[in-house]
Amino acid sequence: MKVVHYLNQFFGGVGGEEFADTPPNFLEGPVGPGNLLNQILPEGSQIVGTIVCGDNYAVENQQDIVSFVNAKVKEARADLFVAGPCFNAGRYGMSAGAVCEAVKSESDIPVVTAMSEENPGVDVYRGEVLIVDSGSSPANMRDVLVRIANLGAKLANDETVGPPSAEGYIPQGFLRTEFVEKTAAQRLAEMLMAKLNGESFEPEIPVTTFEPIPVPLMTTEIAKAKIALVTDGGLVPRSNPDNLPRAFSRVWGAYSIDERPKLLEEDFEVAHGGYDNAHVQQDPNRLVPVDVMREMERSGAIGSLHEEFLSTTGNSNPLENSRRIGREMAQRLKEAGVDAVILTST
Amino acid sequence: MRLTLAVHSISQMDFGSKTQLEGTRLQIDVEELRRCILQDRRLQSVDLEIARPGESCRAGYVFDIIEPRAKEPGSGADFPGILGPVTPVGQGVTHVLRGAAVTVVDGGQPGGELGYESRRGGVSKILEMSGEAAKRSSYSDLQHLVMVPRAHPDIERHAVLNALRVASCRAVVFLAQTALSQLPDSTLDFELEGPKSGNGNLPRIAYIGQIHGHQHGTESDEHILYGANTRGMMPTPLHPNEWMDGAVVISYSWGARGLETYFYQNHPIIGELYRLHQSGQANFVGAIATISSDQESEMKRNSMMGAQIAKWNLGADGVVLTKYAGGAPHTDMFETALQCEALGVKTVALTSDTASDSRAESALLINTKEVNAIVSHSEGSDVRFQLPRVERIIAGNSEVADILSGLSELTPAALCGIANNQGASRLQPIIY
Repeated sequence: MKVVHYLNQFFGGVGGEEFADTPPNFLEGPVGPGNLLNQILPEGSQIVGTIVCGDNYAVENQQDIVSFVNAKVKEARADLFVAGPCFNAGRYGMSAGAVCEAVKSESDIPVVTAMSEENPGVDVYRGEVLIVDSGSSPANMRDVLVRIANLGAKLANDETVGPPSAEGYIPQGFLRTEFVEKTAAQRLAEMLMAKLNGESFEPEIPVTTFEPIPVPLMTTEIAKAKIALVTDGGLVPRSNPDNLPRAFSRVWGAYSIDERPKLLEEDFEVAHGGYDNAHVQQDPNRLVPVDVMREMERSGAIGSLHEEFLSTTGNSNPLENSRRIGREMAQRLKEAGVDAVILTST
Repeated sequence: MRLTLAVHSISQMDFGSKTQLEGTRLQIDVEELRRCILQDRRLQSVDLEIARPGESCRAGYVFDIIEPRAKEPGSGADFPGILGPVTPVGQGVTHVLRGAAVTVVDGGQPGGELGYESRRGGVSKILEMSGEAAKRSSYSDLQHLVMVPRAHPDIERHAVLNALRVASCRAVVFLAQTALSQLPDSTLDFELEGPKSGNGNLPRIAYIGQIHGHQHGTESDEHILYGANTRGMMPTPLHPNEWMDGAVVISYSWGARGLETYFYQNHPIIGELYRLHQSGQANFVGAIATISSDQESEMKRNSMMGAQIAKWNLGADGVVLTKYAGGAPHTDMFETALQCEALGVKTVALTSDTASDSRAESALLINTKEVNAIVSHSEGSDVRFQLPRVERIIAGNSEVADILSGLSELTPAALCGIANNQGASRLQPIIY
């Protein structure tokens, strides 16, 4: 197994902070901590080359360093790419994450790095890159390199990688269903007693916190504004032209309501398996209130109703998918000069 | 309240000339059983088969799975509100045929909101008796009496479903009455005084469980709680013994995967809370049956009332909450948990994972720092079972039979007894 290793200027032996602007350099064989890693790697494996780059240079010239690393990895015909360990050095972690991600997608070989959990590189790259938990002290160097070597060898040999706690890497946030000894009822009872007795417990699914999204300020007077209707209740024209599924939708549709005084029952149907659709089937305006909006348009309460409504199925959608659908919808509405949106959910 | 289960082990089930229990062998006079089922004149015929552990057999779509049980005369009624007038259950002696099940297959027409197709599309509610999926199912080591009741063609769908429910309960009692005069292999006692029970220094624990999700409505003649269809229901204190002894059956909701009456009778969560009570670790002070709603005002009211009852009527320090499968019930369960936490009642909730992209960030519908104790039975959408070709298909009609015989792979949620919303599941999402 041929390994290419990435180090910053400090661990690469160039020097301290005063050398942080040093551009990348490729050296044959192992350098610095690479010497120890080279001994730990399984037999028949070796570090064939080391890239050393200044922290500032790497962060400020990310495109350059990424192309440099990609080129060297290909030339070396590497089977594994290792960066760091970076411990809690922030710029080092960010550039190690960036080059690992780039090598993984460009050369399709396994990549491993190591950081402390506080390193900002963890938040950005943990989903794509396996990051060994290095702690913050370089005194753990040997332990960390052992874990890097083990993981790297497993990945390169296509062996199954165990759970984060067993292998010593930072969880990537993927869920994998497994069969366990205890029933859910037993786990519930144990967790309840731990909580009641003030003992520590771990939720089986992490409770996530989300950044609040500020509501944008309305800059147009409402009586002059163009308003659009958007729903995640799955209303679609009869025959469902975009094939919106009843759950897990990756698609959304834009449907004309131009000239329509209201939505007619015979023209629409519902693609949504998560709520009782009967009332909407009976009168689609209950979900997408074109009838009331037309009245408000006539009375001058709003400027105008946008000529189409947007619809998707908000049922069991992964967040990343919902974010994309939201961005695409917002862009379409923005381009159409819509000032405000009424979102109706179910 | 004290309930004694008189447990009779069953190792063999056969059709024979007489309906009787001999040792651990249950013999069924199939014609006698048929007459019992067909006293309901809405039904014109019933197919009866036996499916045994390890047999090359697949059945679907399953309407319900129930453990054969019958009340000792003088102990109360069997399935009150379904088979007869409403009278209380949860006390006295109930005979149990452990190791046996009555599995009812829907012989109705395909499709429709209350038809057999899963709301997410695809098949669900399959009983698999052999192969790797069977190894993971709670039901594959049971002797199943599988029945397919068929209604007259002019009977409306809601009445057909009602007939299936009545037939399922009748069959259960019919089988278990063979044990009435016999000595059980063992007895299990479930005794709780109620809110004032036990040692005052121990934490007081309770269960709040949904028994229907009204994002999918119920039929006017649908039996769920003592025969009630639960429309407009508010949280109801229900003694854990009533829960296990025939007061509650599952609703018709085909979207509600992982729910069978079998695990109300053998409720894994009530069982665990009893264990904590009996081992002196906690006081089990009671249970509350509730629903999830399709109206926000009703959701808020029910959540508040569920929490109020837990706090002020049961005096609970901690509760376990479960939902009736799906996203809307998840919302009601979380709101109830939030209200409990606000009253100082600690909560643990059972969820199923909703992350179709396998990302932990998508796996909880609602994230709040108060509701921080989460157990997940996953739905195992990343697990695939290879299904063997089977020799025998027991299906509701020929169209379903074709689908079942062509199956080669299924996920846990499509099978009975693997992903379960009542606490029986051994699936867990592990974070990688």
